[in-house]
Amino acid sequence: MTADETAAAPGPAILEIDDLRTHFFTQTGVIRAVDGVSYTVRAGETLGVVGESGCGKSVTALSVLRLVASPPGRIVSGAIRFGGTNLLDLSESEMEGIRGNEISMIFQEPMTSLNPLMTVGRQIAEAIVLHRGLSPRAAMDKTVEMLRRVSIPEPERRLHAYPHQLSGGMRQRVMIAMALSCNPKVLIADEPTTALDVTIQAQILELIRELQDTFGTAIVLITHDMGVVAENADRVVVMYAGRKVEEASAKVLFEAPGHPYTRGLLGSIPKLDVAARLDARRNRLNEIKGMVPSLHNLPEGCTFAPRCEFATDQCRAAYPPLVQHRPGHAIACWHADRLLTGAT
Amino acid sequence: MTADVSVEGVQPLIEVRGLKKHFPILKGVFSRPAGTVYAVDGVSFHINPGETLGLVGESGCGKSTVGRTLLKLLEPTAGQIIVRGEDITGHNQGQMLPYRRQMQMIYQDPYASLNPRMSAGEIVGEPIVIHRAVTADERHDRVAALFERVGLRPELMHHYPHEFSGGQRQRIGIARALALSPELVVGDEPVSALDVSIQAQIINLLMDLQDELKLSYLFVAHDLAVVELLSHRVAVMYLGRIVELTDKSSLFEMPLHPYTEALLSAVPIPKYSARSRKRVILKGDVPSPINPPTGCHFHTRCLYATARCQAEAPQLREVVPGHLAACHLHDGGVKFPLEKPAAGA
Repeated sequence: MTADETAAAPGPAILEIDDLRTHFFTQTGVIRAVDGVSYTVRAGETLGVVGESGCGKSVTALSVLRLVASPPGRIVSGAIRFGGTNLLDLSESEMEGIRGNEISMIFQEPMTSLNPLMTVGRQIAEAIVLHRGLSPRAAMDKTVEMLRRVSIPEPERRLHAYPHQLSGGMRQRVMIAMALSCNPKVLIADEPTTALDVTIQAQILELIRELQDTFGTAIVLITHDMGVVAENADRVVVMYAGRKVEEASAKVLFEAPGHPYTRGLLGSIPKLDVAARLDARRNRLNEIKGMVPSLHNLPEGCTFAPRCEFATDQCRAAYPPLVQHRPGHAIACWHADRLLTGAT
Repeated sequence: MTADVSVEGVQPLIEVRGLKKHFPILKGVFSRPAGTVYAVDGVSFHINPGETLGLVGESGCGKSTVGRTLLKLLEPTAGQIIVRGEDITGHNQGQMLPYRRQMQMIYQDPYASLNPRMSAGEIVGEPIVIHRAVTADERHDRVAALFERVGLRPELMHHYPHEFSGGQRQRIGIARALALSPELVVGDEPVSALDVSIQAQIINLLMDLQDELKLSYLFVAHDLAVVELLSHRVAVMYLGRIVELTDKSSLFEMPLHPYTEALLSAVPIPKYSARSRKRVILKGDVPSPINPPTGCHFHTRCLYATARCQAEAPQLREVVPGHLAACHLHDGGVKFPLEKPAAGA
């Protein structure tokens, strides 16, 4: 839904990630993939989570469903509250009642997340039988209905198709049908359209918006694509090197970003931009210098400082706290006040 | 016939006419031909010295095959490739050698395109060795200079590919492409595997190198925003054919082909204000290049298609001076914005 202007009719919080730390214990040392991340998902909203490879956005999501491979990974501390319970306290069998039922997930590459040896109909029906206790026949009917919902043509016939017989866009539709078949409260979509062509991406994003309107599902949209976030999210969390560096409504984040990393990211992406087109010369992009630090060897202080044009000794000495600068707009930067009031 | 428009008498650096590349599908033990993939099915364009031609389209449209066939890494099935007025289509390996120096390629995947057993310096220096461009003594200096030019410290020459990040590897790939001072560089999705902040660095580097070395680029990509930034002119491909070809401002401001219109509208724009725009969302998938639709390949997904589009393939022709499109909609005069012809028209 293109909820405009005030995305500030927030529903109640249904999923709260609180100071989550997920670390990987490898032979070469401890990797702090997620290092103190908190965010809240409200009923019915779309929360965008953005960042570059290795920023911890996917590991955070996998931690919510307790799908982090262990070993080497382990949730070291924190809480994930869903409907009053801390998911980290649940037993594995209790967790199975949550996964795919209350909280579902779709992944970037549908080919690797579907079972190649099972028809898509059986895969979807399996989840319905498991979580909803329907008879196999009733589950098949429900499956056909779900395939129709995600606009798969001839759903009765596609039921018997194997994943390799479908196109990438169709497979992603099957994943979405499966994820929504038990009417979850939260859908975590991890780069759901990254592997797809733009015209297919547009179809899938539109489908997700429509289904959200119909089912009222809250969506966590994890992506590296700022355009996808700008057009789909109500609120946005920006992550860098395992931490949340900024959180704001989509409008504020794109129109008045506070963190130098967010500003850098927005400056470094080419936009289909009329103003730039009038200038016959091609404009250089504003690049962020250097590269994302290795999680093996994070710098002291603010992890973004080595790449930041505003960095001072204070930044290099200590990691800045996450501060609410305005309601709903939190930034982890020592110089956020100066940046927000100064030049935009 | 060339469907391209040559500008103010400049001799193009390279020109292709009616280029086709078909791949046979072989089945069974006896490799019986069981069909044909019409990957590139009659494309014509030219690239002027110092110019970037962007080639966009979705997976399977044949854009990468065009890039490879242009360099004769694949033998064309039909058509002509003309470099500075000379037809090189029939040239054998030996005859191609001097042309290979002038035409180089940068690949998409910085992980797969570098030999893991060679040091970065050897990789960049290899074309110099093969073409005996300079003596061994000079080679070291040449490679060091190339490293500096692409933003790598020359000390890194002795390191191996796995020791570099994705962005650095792509810089190595660029240095290798520049080693023989080519005139044309074909970039096959050279930035699409990179993170956003690194992508910006590589795009800037490519633009700087072009200004400095007067390179011509064929820039093959699916990301329209990147193509807009880098290109002077843009060709849009759909299922093996060019459907629109013009300078970039015309293409982005006045798309005359329904596919271009849909493509532009599908690109997510990283601005909050962009969410209110009207979008054209295409139905269905891209059909298979093994069995492309009759007539206009796009008619199965086109919002404006008529019975004629099903039967008759439109020619790529100059609809507005300098602006080519392959669409029947403009036969009775240019229509912009696009609209479906009234019934019976």
